[in-house]
Amino acid sequence: MPKIAIDPITRIEGHLRIEAQVDGGRVAEAWSSSTMFRGMELVLKGRDPRDAWLFAQRI
Amino acid sequence: MEDALGITVPDNARIIRNLISGIQYVQDHVIHFYHLHALDWVDITSALGADPGETAKLAQSISSWPKSSAVYFKAVQDRLKRFVESGQLGLFANGYWGHPAYKLPPAANLMAVAHYLEALDWQREVIKIHAILGSKNPHPQTYLVGGMSIPLDPNSAAALNADKLALQRQLLVTAKAFVDQVYVPDVLAIAPFYKEWAGLGAGAGNYLAYGDFPIDTSGDPARLWLPRGVILNRDLSRVHPMDQRQITEQVTHSWYEYSDGDGRARHPWDGETNPKYTGPKPPYEFLETDKKYTWLKAPRYNGLPMEVGPLARMLVAYASGHAGVKAGVDGVLKALGVGPAALSSTLGRIAARAIETQLTAAELLTWHDQLVANMKRGDLKIHNGAKWDPATWPKEAQGWGFHEAPRGALGHWVRIKDGAIVNYQCVVPSTWNASPRDAQGQRGPYEASLLSTPVVDPNKPVEILRTVHSFDPCMACAVHVTGSAREPITRIQVV
Repeated sequence: MPKIAIDPITRIEGHLRIEAQVDGGRVAEAWSSSTMFRGMELVLKGRDPRDAWLFAQRI
Repeated sequence: MEDALGITVPDNARIIRNLISGIQYVQDHVIHFYHLHALDWVDITSALGADPGETAKLAQSISSWPKSSAVYFKAVQDRLKRFVESGQLGLFANGYWGHPAYKLPPAANLMAVAHYLEALDWQREVIKIHAILGSKNPHPQTYLVGGMSIPLDPNSAAALNADKLALQRQLLVTAKAFVDQVYVPDVLAIAPFYKEWAGLGAGAGNYLAYGDFPIDTSGDPARLWLPRGVILNRDLSRVHPMDQRQITEQVTHSWYEYSDGDGRARHPWDGETNPKYTGPKPPYEFLETDKKYTWLKAPRYNGLPMEVGPLARMLVAYASGHAGVKAGVDGVLKALGVGPAALSSTLGRIAARAIETQLTAAELLTWHDQLVANMKRGDLKIHNGAKWDPATWPKEAQGWGFHEAPRGALGHWVRIKDGAIVNYQCVVPSTWNASPRDAQGQRGPYEASLLSTPVVDPNKPVEILRTVHSFDPCMACAVHVTGSAREPITRIQVV
């Protein structure tokens, strides 16, 4: 039962990894992983809430 | 912020926000179809062997789009040949060309390549609306708490004036023409070759839409052009009301820790973002998927995983009896000869995105006309500044901002104290869709959608890409750095 990992998935925005267990030519189990931390929530703490949109927009 | 402080934005701000978001849908969905997804279905190398005369016949049979002569398609093919002969495939370098899962005849492949290239030029033009209304793209600059900051004045060169509105209308017509005459006909022409994908990639089967595009400034969630609601277990006979208090995030399988234990499910107002990487040290072969394995939290609605995005929006609207969506969905189902159950699939996501684009491209003209009518009446109000000054705010406040981004339901939760943010949590569309397992072991939508997907060759898993790409993943905008030695960008490991 081969296990495969595709990393990164291309033609998307950002970083995504898929691991899959293949059994008899079909996916038997799959895991989705984002391999990059974003942390916008920490950037915004303590700031003027009127500025939040300008930061959050960058997500 | 507007929810936290009880601010109503002027009608012109409502319309301009709808226009900015609406043209974003149209541009983004077309880019997704041609530039991010089509190459999972279209074999570029097969287009090299196509008869341009056959392609012309095919193109003319499905659309009145003028660029459809044999001479035109021959020129596209020659351009493609020069790409290949130069040895620099560029955008087309990384693909599983020749894979048996590609089913389109050469003539259709050539047509799709031509439209891939046309769409590149088109998208650059139509998004100029963001420059007009938002000063730039990406990241329009004219938003403000309480409205927008772009001045309205038909007669001023420094404002949104009559000339700019005329250009905007022309761009909206250009946008709609390509969607009606190229994008939608292409989806309908390609889909019949891949009908098995209407039975694959179903996913969580639960759909969440916050709804968006306010019809008026009432703030009433019933007054949204795309409606709000929840569908459970693919049951289109019932749309459940959406209550944002039912949303939580878990970190059982995510590289975060909660102060009171990782088993907790926290509402975003009480959310915590404490990163703690416990995964393997790179480079690694595989993640420890029985433990924590991703930087995404696991959002749940009433404890259930939810798919968000165009399919969720179209299903909620369809099941709610939205006239435009009902006509669009029924038309596509009839053209493809399938029933509504086929929508919960990889192909269903592609169809829903195309239907949504077509409806939005038409509705944009209505919003444009509303803005013009307001300005003609002398209504130039764009901002409500009554609560701009923090001295007018309560000592503490909390709010929820919702939006249907192109990729799905987007929510931001804020808590404000003494004029500053004390907590801000974003639950973005791809966090819902790419979610890991939760404390109960329930798979996220990508994970669930991949079960039973055929994989003919584990070294070339194009089938997995088809289903993952159908969601239009957006993990975080990023700059990707790769080596200059032309090593393969993506590593496929088979063990």
